[in-house]
Amino acid sequence: MPSGLAAGGLLLLAFLVPFVCILLGLPPFLRFLTRKGWTSEDVHKSPPAKVPEPAGPILFVAALLGEFVVAIGFRSWVPVAISLGAGIAFLIGLADDVFVLGGRTKPLLLLLAGVAFAGVVVFVPGLYQPVITFPILGDTAPHFIIYTMLAVVAFPVVSNAFNMMDSFNGEISWFALLTSLALLVGVSLHAAYASGFSLARVGATLPLVAVGAGFLLFNRYPSRAFDGDSGSLMYGAMFAGLAVTGGVEIAAIIAIVPAILNSFYTLSSVRGFVERRKMSGRPTYIGGDGLLYPSTEPNAPNTLIRLVLLAGALSERDLVKQLVYLTLVALIFSVATSALTWVY
Amino acid sequence: MKLAPLFGVEAVAFLLIIAETYLFFNLVVPLGPIPHSLPAYTGLTLVKLLLSLGLVALWFVVMIGLTRIYVKAKIRNAPRPSS
Repeated sequence: MPSGLAAGGLLLLAFLVPFVCILLGLPPFLRFLTRKGWTSEDVHKSPPAKVPEPAGPILFVAALLGEFVVAIGFRSWVPVAISLGAGIAFLIGLADDVFVLGGRTKPLLLLLAGVAFAGVVVFVPGLYQPVITFPILGDTAPHFIIYTMLAVVAFPVVSNAFNMMDSFNGEISWFALLTSLALLVGVSLHAAYASGFSLARVGATLPLVAVGAGFLLFNRYPSRAFDGDSGSLMYGAMFAGLAVTGGVEIAAIIAIVPAILNSFYTLSSVRGFVERRKMSGRPTYIGGDGLLYPSTEPNAPNTLIRLVLLAGALSERDLVKQLVYLTLVALIFSVATSALTWVY
Repeated sequence: MKLAPLFGVEAVAFLLIIAETYLFFNLVVPLGPIPHSLPAYTGLTLVKLLLSLGLVALWFVVMIGLTRIYVKAKIRNAPRPSS
């Protein structure tokens, strides 16, 4: 196990390799997508612009390379389990990008990502500890079966929550970056204050931070690339796996509260899993002035976006800023949770 | 501070998640000694399931309640494009 400078260098590489991979790999891939006509309409622009989609394959390759560095450098199986779960979610997302899967098919298929991830524990018993550590109150007793079942279910839940935060320019990349930073703080504090906690688990979170940061440069307003479901589902699966292996479940849930609320509002108002393209009403609309307005129709889905817009009409850029503020507040809560869990 | 009410909803969601997860793992999961007869075991499992669903339902009810209050307060003055 590397230590000191070597470990620091490996952690730096775990960030730089995926980050540089996106900076160098995404532009030619976007040109390829455009040449092939794989573009989507950016419907919040007037007139709608054509944006290449999905950038997910490059994001996945970048994350995979970062996890590979950590797996080899730290001789750890944690990045392998993370890559396995994220890889399956990526493939399901890619299938959705190409064929459009049903609203219920996607979450059911995503259970496979959780099962594959949890299956690694058969070969690597220390992959995760089946306990939850609470702020101030400490550890629960170990509950392997309940914990593993919850870990498996976390994959479709978190992946879908990320997927539902992918509607506006920069929304998903800001969200992925900020939530992965919250995760990084939590896992780092865990490593610093708990004995016997491997640095590899800290290293395994860095590719997610790097992919979030790198893609933000292309996805921020006005977007030059959309990640597609292949990207957003992969983000969610990686996040779920890292929260479990990092032992920071509570802090991770807190970090994605905006996405949980968004999913909850949408699912409770449309009463079930409905593919967004098939929703009966729209939560928002664009006014003649180019601003986004909340729908006042009684059957309009209650998304987080609609709730934000009820406070005032906004341009797309300002709306994403408001969502970033909501995510920042969740990040502060998450960091406080991590500090109270590991430092207190 | 247009977002203040939504920050409040986030804070409530945060506190409920911590409290309910704690109750689930420290109260519901270890509830009672494991019974040796099948009917008692089934009964205990059902009680645990009901308690778990109760915790989920509590989160849902509080969140739906807060959202309804927020939407009701805002919908009357919802912004509309000037025509």
